[in-house]
Amino acid sequence: STSSAKSADYVYFDRTTAGFSDDAVPRAKTAQLKLEHFYKVAVDAAIERNTRRVELERKLAADPTMSDDRKQRQLQQLGKRESAFLRLRRTKLGLDDFRTVKVIGKGAFGEVRVVQKTDTGKIYAMKTLKKEEMLKKDQLAHVRAERDVLAESNSPWVVQLYYSFQDPAYLYLIMEFLPGGDLMTMLIKYDTFSEDVTRFYIAECVLAIEAVHKLGFIHRDIKPDNILIDKDGHIKLSDFGLSTGFHKQHDSSYYQRLLESATGVQSPTTAARNSVMVNAIHLTMTNKDQIATWKANRRKLAYSTVGTPDYIAPEIFQQKGYGNECDWWSLGAITFECLVGYPPFCSESTQDTYQKILRWNDYLMFPDDVHLSREAEDLIRRLLTSQERRMKVDQIRHHPFFYGVNWNAIRQIEAPFIPRLRSITDTSYFPTDELEHVPEEPAGADNSGTNKDLAFLGYTFKRFTLSSHAF
Amino acid sequence: PSSPQPVQKPLFLCSPFVEAALVKGNFKTIVMQPKYTDIMEWVAVNIFDFYTNLNMFYGVLAECCTAHSCPSMSAGVALNYTWINQDRKNVQLPAPTYVDYVMTWIQNLLDDDNTFPTKSGKDFTPTFPSTVKHVYRQLLRVFAHLYYAHYTQILHLRSEPHFNSLFAHFLAFGTEYELLDIKDIKGQPNVPVAVGALWERWKEMGILEN
Ligand SMILES: Nc1ncnc2c1ncn2[C@@H]1O[C@H](COP(=O)(O)OP(=O)(O)OP(=O)(O)O)[C@@H](O)[C@H]1O
Repeated sequence: STSSAKSADYVYFDRTTAGFSDDAVPRAKTAQLKLEHFYKVAVDAAIERNTRRVELERKLAADPTMSDDRKQRQLQQLGKRESAFLRLRRTKLGLDDFRTVKVIGKGAFGEVRVVQKTDTGKIYAMKTLKKEEMLKKDQLAHVRAERDVLAESNSPWVVQLYYSFQDPAYLYLIMEFLPGGDLMTMLIKYDTFSEDVTRFYIAECVLAIEAVHKLGFIHRDIKPDNILIDKDGHIKLSDFGLSTGFHKQHDSSYYQRLLESATGVQSPTTAARNSVMVNAIHLTMTNKDQIATWKANRRKLAYSTVGTPDYIAPEIFQQKGYGNECDWWSLGAITFECLVGYPPFCSESTQDTYQKILRWNDYLMFPDDVHLSREAEDLIRRLLTSQERRMKVDQIRHHPFFYGVNWNAIRQIEAPFIPRLRSITDTSYFPTDELEHVPEEPAGADNSGTNKDLAFLGYTFKRFTLSSHAF
Repeated sequence: PSSPQPVQKPLFLCSPFVEAALVKGNFKTIVMQPKYTDIMEWVAVNIFDFYTNLNMFYGVLAECCTAHSCPSMSAGVALNYTWINQDRKNVQLPAPTYVDYVMTWIQNLLDDDNTFPTKSGKDFTPTFPSTVKHVYRQLLRVFAHLYYAHYTQILHLRSEPHFNSLFAHFLAFGTEYELLDIKDIKGQPNVPVAVGALWERWKEMGILEN
């Protein structure tokens, strides 16, 4: 029997790492982890591939109208796509495979560029992230989360991630390029939207946020900069947990320290301001100057590593727990901004903004000189409120402000602003002139230093997509 | 159990190491050619993965595999692989040199778009299957040397479950697509490949199919 054979053969072996160099043990560990990851992915991929095939076969079998010939062709097509995907796994994509068309955006850890894949000519958006900066700010988990959400979702409401790769210094995300710019840029251009236009964008955001929640994620950082506009004028969400400055988002003590610190974190332009001015009187001012300052600095703030807290729910700053309802608060703040022209708690310094958000009950004010419908004001008030009283998604969908919205077909209707694009690489909807100190071409790694990349294990990702858009 | 053991069994055939595995069960799900896909693509990506993974483990063990410790590419008591040089002569090489030649050669093939095409629209050539068989035979030799000469070091580094699974997967894939000759796994009757016995053992144990 096997058990007796086992015991006859059984040997005891004294393991020791005495004879090895210092590197050997960690290197062995890395190799082990990589192989574990490899087999996990291999098994998952086999299962997913199988599911795709079985689903198609079942769908075809259930279709009595289609000819056998056409069914066969569809299955061959699936085989072609699967084969192309297998090839993609062997294909080393690197910076060399992409040509920068234009730098279009800037974030805390790098830039966003429109790029063209040289062999196919296809256009993508490439986001670069400097590893060192992310490690410093503890952002790795967030990047993983972002990557995973973007990669796993087939949702039309979420920006598609096709491919990611890395070199020793940077991570690169290759995403679908949304040529319409973002809602922040639009708000800077138009100041405010009519209620009809606002209804359209906010309703689409409701569906997008709901989609993210259904994927099991809380966005936590919904703001106009992360609401991107596609070629037809519809929205998609980007940027999961990667937002500037909000490292350690779940670490509320981080905010506590910020609030308690005398100097505070201030927006770039007010950094020189005397801290004595941070007082109650100053905080109660919602004058035109303050709003003008905020507006003037809006984009700078988006680029800075401090970021803007304007849309963050109060519970996130506090020692309380929070759930996905925090995203509905953010939507309330964005609705306010669309209609009023600035976010509800905007201040000259981020510290002031934190304080106003925490005391939202005292600070939420609707200016007299802007007319809002009863429904709009009510929607905002039911979103910018305590966690318990905040509306849930079903209540939001039924709120009178959204009266007449066709929730099932909104993505199919004509958007209020449709980008007028002259080419597939048109970047006129991005503030490319305002981007300073950004290298045209990504720097790339100097390739010195060996692979100390354990923290980024498994970062290289290649998406299987059924759309013809993929590589 | 009463039969005497004339020579000491290699450690990789002994319990608990012979059954140590990272991937439990057999390899069918990940070896089987996905329906409707191109078999060339399937073989190509698997060769790519075996090469990458083996190279990674060799990288860990490289410090133990020196011209001094391994003056020849040994894989059995009487077995030293020879390399065919540019003059088509069989030459003995120290194991690290041999492995380096193998790995460099394969890397160059993988990087060569004519042999392992990656550009869209480019196809495999008719010689691909025979090239792949050569690649497979050389990768097998690297596995065979590591099992024969460096298994204790693999144990010291606690890598035997990983290494076993990688090798078992390699064997399963190679037999499924006839990339391996039985005689390459077992060697000649008078010059056996040490690891040939492991192949037999894993078949008995059901880790590999018969
Ligand atoms: N896929 C995309 N298509 C088009 N534009 C994009 C895309 N991704 C990002 N952008 C542009 O780049 C800007 C910055 O990108 P993103 O917000 O993702 O960067 P970030 O590093 O996370 O910075 P932040 O958190 O401050 O927004 C966006 O506001 C948008 O204008």
